[in-house]
Amino acid sequence: MILLPIADDKILFYSKSMGGLMSKEKWIYAIKETEMKDGEKKALIIDGQKIVLIRKGREFFALSNKCVHMECPLSKGELEGYIIKCPCHDWRFDIRNGEFLDARELKVPIYELKVSDGNVYLNIGGRIP
Amino acid sequence: MDVQKRKQKLREMFQKVVDPLGYKFSPDEEIVDFLLEQEVILEKEHGHPFCPCQGRTGEREHDMKIVCPCIPFHRTHFDAMKRCWCGLYVHKDVDDPESLIQISLTELEELQKEGKI
Amino acid sequence: MKKIMMYTLSTCPWCKKAKNFFSEKNIPFEFIDYDKASKEEQEKIREVCSAHGEGVAFPFVIIGDDVVVGYNPQRYMKLLES
Repeated sequence: MILLPIADDKILFYSKSMGGLMSKEKWIYAIKETEMKDGEKKALIIDGQKIVLIRKGREFFALSNKCVHMECPLSKGELEGYIIKCPCHDWRFDIRNGEFLDARELKVPIYELKVSDGNVYLNIGGRIP
Repeated sequence: MDVQKRKQKLREMFQKVVDPLGYKFSPDEEIVDFLLEQEVILEKEHGHPFCPCQGRTGEREHDMKIVCPCIPFHRTHFDAMKRCWCGLYVHKDVDDPESLIQISLTELEELQKEGKI
Repeated sequence: MKKIMMYTLSTCPWCKKAKNFFSEKNIPFEFIDYDKASKEEQEKIREVCSAHGEGVAFPFVIIGDDVVVGYNPQRYMKLLES
């Protein structure tokens, strides 16, 4: 990754997968905390990116809503504990790190997330990995 | 559905899956084209691009493990052969897929007992 | 001459190669395409596979009393000659 300091103290980085120079942090409001119940999944499109937001107890998780296998929407899958099962072919992913349980090398990108004043924000600039 | 387009789409999606697992599409283009075409037909008829060389049983738990690329569910077996069962994918270091033979499950067990893999 | 029975899939190129191997040598064989078989036949084939400790993978070639799973011309030859 090439980091380039720029004038307003933000950091740019070069990401091939994201299509070029990206601002590392791009926090965007996603939803009100109270809009989601425990165990609920919500499909969102933020800044053109398909994202599934999941509430588990008091925690929130955000992952790409495209299964790494055939791009099926994980938001339509079953959630059991921290594991979400893709509705198309039952591929199972850990929502905490995006890892595919049957081959850890495969990951659904996850997004940083923060809750502030009852609002959920996503850092859609810094998709991990 | 345009078969050629779907073949291309499957190729693009599956490439992203098999690459991190250490596999690539077989250099034998003829077999790759044939197998992808079978998968498109199977997907059209049965809803999923199943492996053209493994049989469906009708039990979801079994059948989902033979949807292409099925490498994650048969890793030890396929790694021992340096290819997947149908030969659509081979290990990245394989240039001559003709040289790879299929090893059955019982043969695999024997190799494991003998400590050869 | 040993009896040859083969369970195959109509979609599998290795099954085609196995069939060609015996045809080209004028060795008679019988086969059932698993994907074209009835549910009852499929179940019987699965029982045979499982009895030999194998999954539902094809070609499943029975040469006399021996079984070869996969396209393996060298092993076919060996079993035919033994």
